[in-house]
Amino acid sequence: MFKKPCGTFDETYERDSALVRTPLRWAGLILLFMVMFLGFPFLAGPYYLDVANNIGITVIAVVGLQILIGFTGQISLGHAAFMATGAYTSAMLSDHLGWPFWVTMPLAALSAGLLGLLVALPALRIRGFYIAVSTFAAHYIIMWLLLHGGDLTMGTSGLTADEISVGGFTFDTEFRMYYLIMGITVVMVFLTNNLMRTKVGRAMLAVRDNDLAAAFMGINVFRTKVLAFFISSVFAGIAGALLAHYQGLITVEQFTLMDSIWMLGMLIIGGPTIIGAILGAIFLRLLAQFILFLAPAIGEVFPSFSSSAVAGFTQILFGAVIILFLVFEPRGLAHRWQIILATFRLWPFKTPLGR
Amino acid sequence: MNFFLQMMVSGLLAGAVYALMAMAVVVIYKSSSIFNFAHGSLVAFAAFLMWALVVQWELPLPAVIPIFVLALFTVGFLIQRLILQPLTGQPLMAAVMATIALGDVFAGIVTLVWPGPGRTLPQIIPSRVFHLGGTVMSSESLVNFLICCLAFAGFFFFFRKTKLGLAMRGTAEDHALAQSEGIRVSWIFVVSWVVAILMAAVGGILMSSLYGVNLAPLHGLGMKSLAVVILGGLESIQGAIVGGLIIGIAEAIGAGYLDPYVGGGFNELTPFLIILLVLIIKPYGLFGYERIERL
Repeated sequence: MFKKPCGTFDETYERDSALVRTPLRWAGLILLFMVMFLGFPFLAGPYYLDVANNIGITVIAVVGLQILIGFTGQISLGHAAFMATGAYTSAMLSDHLGWPFWVTMPLAALSAGLLGLLVALPALRIRGFYIAVSTFAAHYIIMWLLLHGGDLTMGTSGLTADEISVGGFTFDTEFRMYYLIMGITVVMVFLTNNLMRTKVGRAMLAVRDNDLAAAFMGINVFRTKVLAFFISSVFAGIAGALLAHYQGLITVEQFTLMDSIWMLGMLIIGGPTIIGAILGAIFLRLLAQFILFLAPAIGEVFPSFSSSAVAGFTQILFGAVIILFLVFEPRGLAHRWQIILATFRLWPFKTPLGR
Repeated sequence: MNFFLQMMVSGLLAGAVYALMAMAVVVIYKSSSIFNFAHGSLVAFAAFLMWALVVQWELPLPAVIPIFVLALFTVGFLIQRLILQPLTGQPLMAAVMATIALGDVFAGIVTLVWPGPGRTLPQIIPSRVFHLGGTVMSSESLVNFLICCLAFAGFFFFFRKTKLGLAMRGTAEDHALAQSEGIRVSWIFVVSWVVAILMAAVGGILMSSLYGVNLAPLHGLGMKSLAVVILGGLESIQGAIVGGLIIGIAEAIGAGYLDPYVGGGFNELTPFLIILLVLIIKPYGLFGYERIERL
């Protein structure tokens, strides 16, 4: 899975099981963290911090989806509904009961996870495409229940969620939320990376590659699939809870089928690795940002209804990007990233990965 | 009892159109094993295109039909040749995402080109209300039902008697065998996309006589046909018809009896509840091929 440069050998068990194996990787990681936590937040204004916060929340959800799709091979079209479950759970608990965030977030994760478990139960009898359809149906049912939840979910007007405060410290600005969101994102990515090194993670990969062979090797295929659904929904629940308290107001419209599809698109664009999920999330979010940036120009071309013109244009571009990636680069940005790394490592020789 | 009968009748009338739209999904799935998630957007796109030809550009009817068919033919051809053909042999996720992304592109085109509130097609049939044995039905839904029945008859004839229809069924059975008989399988894929889009278009136009030419309801109706296909079985055309009628009736009865308790909008939910139930109880639908798989 992780290719090492020539001449780097694992001579001890500690070295072999280390997460970061080479000094160069350490340097890169420390540089990344310095930029993330010491550089970017002080240089960027609240607008770009807001963009970064949204990317962070998306990365949590998409990495969770990657566990399900990229690593276990099950397709879910209902990820946004699990995010909504987390968001509404957290908002309801803090709104109606006044519980603090550090209690509501784990509960949000748990409720989304349990719902994911429930949706995965048909996996006992069906597989592949049919699972995708059952999540698709589950999306509509969950959203319908949230919309018709009466005083609990407040229907179309939505729920308010308080700002997060822990021990008297309130995360009330984009700057403060940035550290919270990025901190949680880094933890979740780290956990995912570790999960894939464990027995459970290997079992997921085996189920993805060939579930018959996996069952033959003694893996409980059904349990692995359901567990993947559970873990992926827990990620979605955490992302949803963060989104609810970050935005302050959540409505049903924030979690449409389109949002699930956007997350699937991020995985297509990124490719089937953790890095791929992160790259895909950043790429599509920045693309959406770029379209907002272009919006005035689009409004001039189609003057009649500029707002819906932007929405239509976004949809077309988004669909076209996914189709282009599917047809021309099905292995996604992560593959490109591997090519770039290999080019540097093997220079001045040619990379075997490139075309 | 009278109320129940009324619900049955209106459900049956709506169900026929669902069945027609569901057949479009089945035709594509049968020939190329691709489930068309773009169906809803294509239904809406076709209805808007018809509106543009008839109302926006005020073309006479004899000119409208060839242009309309030619345009949809081009769309189907391009979809199959440019997008789905290169994806042959890719994992399931790729085909699913390709049709979803395609749906986005078409929904985007509709929002971009025809923005704003909905439109209406000119009325050909005078709006009237019929009473039959204590039930009420509008002339629009009655005519829709009759056109659907005609279309069913036409498609049965097409699939059983014409050479092209038989070639399509042969392709659905076995690609290699069909090729050895001299059938160009890649061409059959194109034809099935074109036929499916034409069916979707007829369904969309019929539905817009009831709902107007609007993106959201037409798209929703297209999505409903996914429920029909799951219920009837992915590979079965008869299944699509039976499933369409069942879903139409279930929806009407569900809305009629449960809406007063849950505060409206229950008919949006019924198809998806049916999908979940079918997937749990009889995953391959009423008439689908049952593949025995060890899970």
